[in-house]
Amino acid sequence: MGIGDIWNLIAMQPMINTLIVLTHYLFNNFGLAIIVLTILVNAAMLPLTLKQVHASKAMQALQPKLAEIQKKYAKDKQRLAQEQMKMYKESGISPAGCLLPLIVQMPVWIALYQAIMRVLAVIPENLLGLSKYLYSWPVVYSTLPLENHFLWLDLATGDMLLALLVGGTMWVQQKMVMTPGADPGQQQQANMMLWLMPLMFAFLTLSFPSGLALFWVTSNVVRIGIQYSATGWGALVKSAPQKKGERDKKYKQRISEVEKAPQGGDIVAPTVTQEEGSSHEESESERQDRGGGYPKSIRAIRRKPRKGRSHRHKGR
Amino acid sequence: MNSRGNIALKVCLALILLLAGLTLFGCAGIRSSPEGISGGVIADGTQFLCPAIKQPGGFGCSAPQTEGKLVAVDTSNGNRLWEVALKASRATSGGFGCAPSAVPVAVYGSPAVAGDLVYVAGYNGRIYAVSASTRLSQDKDVNEANPEPIIGAPVVVGDRLYLGSTDGSVYALDGASLEKEWEFATGGKVWSTPVIDDDTLYIGSFDKKLYALDAGDGDKKWDFETEGAIIATPLVYDNTVYVGSFDRCLYAVDASDGSLKWKFMADSWFWAKPVICNSTIYAPCLDGKVYALNAESGEKVAVFDLGSPISSSPVLAGSSVVIASEGGEVYAIDTGSSQLRLLTELEETVNAPLCASEGVVYVYTVARTLHALNAESGATLWNLAIK
Repeated sequence: MGIGDIWNLIAMQPMINTLIVLTHYLFNNFGLAIIVLTILVNAAMLPLTLKQVHASKAMQALQPKLAEIQKKYAKDKQRLAQEQMKMYKESGISPAGCLLPLIVQMPVWIALYQAIMRVLAVIPENLLGLSKYLYSWPVVYSTLPLENHFLWLDLATGDMLLALLVGGTMWVQQKMVMTPGADPGQQQQANMMLWLMPLMFAFLTLSFPSGLALFWVTSNVVRIGIQYSATGWGALVKSAPQKKGERDKKYKQRISEVEKAPQGGDIVAPTVTQEEGSSHEESESERQDRGGGYPKSIRAIRRKPRKGRSHRHKGR
Repeated sequence: MNSRGNIALKVCLALILLLAGLTLFGCAGIRSSPEGISGGVIADGTQFLCPAIKQPGGFGCSAPQTEGKLVAVDTSNGNRLWEVALKASRATSGGFGCAPSAVPVAVYGSPAVAGDLVYVAGYNGRIYAVSASTRLSQDKDVNEANPEPIIGAPVVVGDRLYLGSTDGSVYALDGASLEKEWEFATGGKVWSTPVIDDDTLYIGSFDKKLYALDAGDGDKKWDFETEGAIIATPLVYDNTVYVGSFDRCLYAVDASDGSLKWKFMADSWFWAKPVICNSTIYAPCLDGKVYALNAESGEKVAVFDLGSPISSSPVLAGSSVVIASEGGEVYAIDTGSSQLRLLTELEETVNAPLCASEGVVYVYTVARTLHALNAESGATLWNLAIK
C-alpha cells in the first residue's frame, strides 16, 4: 500500500463520502453540503485553531519586548538568540505553538479541498475516477452525480462575486490578526501581505470551480468568528481612523490630567473610569507596538499602571 | 523570532500552503478541462475516431487546446488517411485580462456514419457533419439559445440524427441540414447515447429515468424510474431494454410498456453498454467484474473478475466477447464455454469503447494510441499514435 492509497483511505474516502451523504440529507444541495462540512471540519479543529490563535496572540504581545532585545543586541547575534529563547521560556511561549496546529490542520484542509473537487465531477473523466473512492453505501451511489447549482452559482465554474467575497473575507481575517509593526518598513511589509494574499486568492478563485470558493468563503467566515471570540476585532477596529481619533482625544485628556496632578501614576489611577481604563489599556498596547508615539515623560508616567496590570494578570 | 521574521514566515507558510494545495490538486488527477473519451466507428474499411485533446497542466492564463479533430484511419494497415479539424466557436470569459478561451471540442461519444457523412457531437454543444469524400464540414449548436456540453454519441437512423444533451433534452435533427426536428425535455442532464429500435428511442437521464420516445415525433411512450442516474447506453434485445443505473443495478425493462422484468445488483456502477450473445447478457461493471446474466430471468450465469474497473464497452467478435479493463488488459470471454482468456496487456489505461470488424478489435487508449488486435490470438496487428 503506497502513500497515495493510505491518503485515500484515511483522508479522501471519508471526506468524499461524508460530503455525498450530507448532500443527500441536505435536500440534494451540494452547496449547502460544502458549507456544512466546512463548518463541521472547523468545529472538529477548533481546539487546534484556538491553540494557534492564542499562541499567535501571545507572540504578538511579546513583540515589543522582542524588538527591544533585538535593538539592544543588534550586533551580537548569539546573545540575541539566547535572550530571545530566554524570553520565550520565561513567557511560556513556544514559537512552534503557532505553526504546529497549522501544520496538523493542513492535511485536513487539503483533503477537504480535494474532496470538493472530486465530488463536483462535471466531466466524465472525473466522475469515472470518483467511483474508486465510494463506500458501498446505497445512498452514496444513488446520490451521484450531484446537482452543481447553488443559489446563483454554477459550482463547477468560477464566479466573480464569490471571488470578491473570498478576497474580502480573507482581508478581514488577516486584518484582525495584524500587528502594527515596530518600524515603517515592517508595517509596509505587513500591509503588502494584507492585500497580496486576498488578491491572489481572489484571482485563483476565478480559475477554480466556485464550489471550492464557497469552501474558502465559509472557512474565512468561520475563522473570523473564531478570531473574534478569542481576540475581538483586533486591528480591524483599532485601525479605524475615527476610533483612533477618539482614543487620542482620551489620551490627551488623560495626559493633561497627569500633568496637572502631582507626579505619580498611582494618584491619577482612581480618577479613570472603567470605560476609560479599557481604552487606556488598548491604547497602551498600540503605543507599545508602535515604539511609543508620545514624549518620553508621558511614557515614564504610564509605566506604573502597566506594572499594576501585569500583577492583576498574574493574580488571575 | 522577531516581527519581520514572523511576517516572512507567514509569507513562506502561505506560499507553502498554496503550493502544496496546488501540487496535490495537480497530482490528484483531478482534471478541470474536458479531454474526451471517444471510441471509433468503422465503415467500409475506414475507422473514424476523435482523439482526446491534450490540456496543459498548471494554472494561470495558458490557453487550453480547444480544437478537436476527426481522424480517418485505414483499418487494413493503420495508415492515417486524413483528418479534419473540429473548430470551437464559442468563447468563454478569460477574466483578469486573460484572453477569452473557447469551450474545448472534446468528444465523448463515438462518431456516427451515414453514407458519406460522419457526425460528431462535441463537448462545446455543437454537432459536426463531415463529408468523408470532400472533407467539407458543417456544424451547428444543438441548443442555439443555450449551448450545453454533449457527452453521449449521436445515432443516425434514416435521414435523422438523434442525441441527448447536458441541457436535459433529447434532440432529433435533420441529417442534412442539422436543423432541429423535435426536442424532448427530461428532468436531468442526458449523458446517455440513445438507442433506436422499431421507431422507439430509448435513452437514460440524470433524473434516474429510462425514457421510451416515439422516434418520429418525440412523444413519450413510457418512462421507467430507477434509484440512480442513468448514463449507460441501453441495449435492446427481444423486446427487452437492458440498462445499467448509478444505483448499481442492471435493469431489464419490458420494451412495450416499461414494466420491470428483473434487476441485478453489482458492487459499483454500470458505466459501459452490455453485449448479448446466446441469450446471455455480458454486463461490465466499474467494480472490475463482468457479469454474465440470463437475459430472460436475470439469473447470474458467471462472473469474470478483470481486476480493475471496466468503463470501456465490450464488443462481440465471433463467438467471443472482447473486453478491456481500465488497467489495459484485454480479455476474451468464450461465450460457449464461459472461459476467460487474457489476450494482451497494453499497459495503457483504457476508457473508450472498443470496436471490432472482421476479426480485429480496435482499442483506443488514454495514451492516445489506437491498437489493432487479432480477436483470437490477441496479437498486435498494428498501432498508431493519434494525437
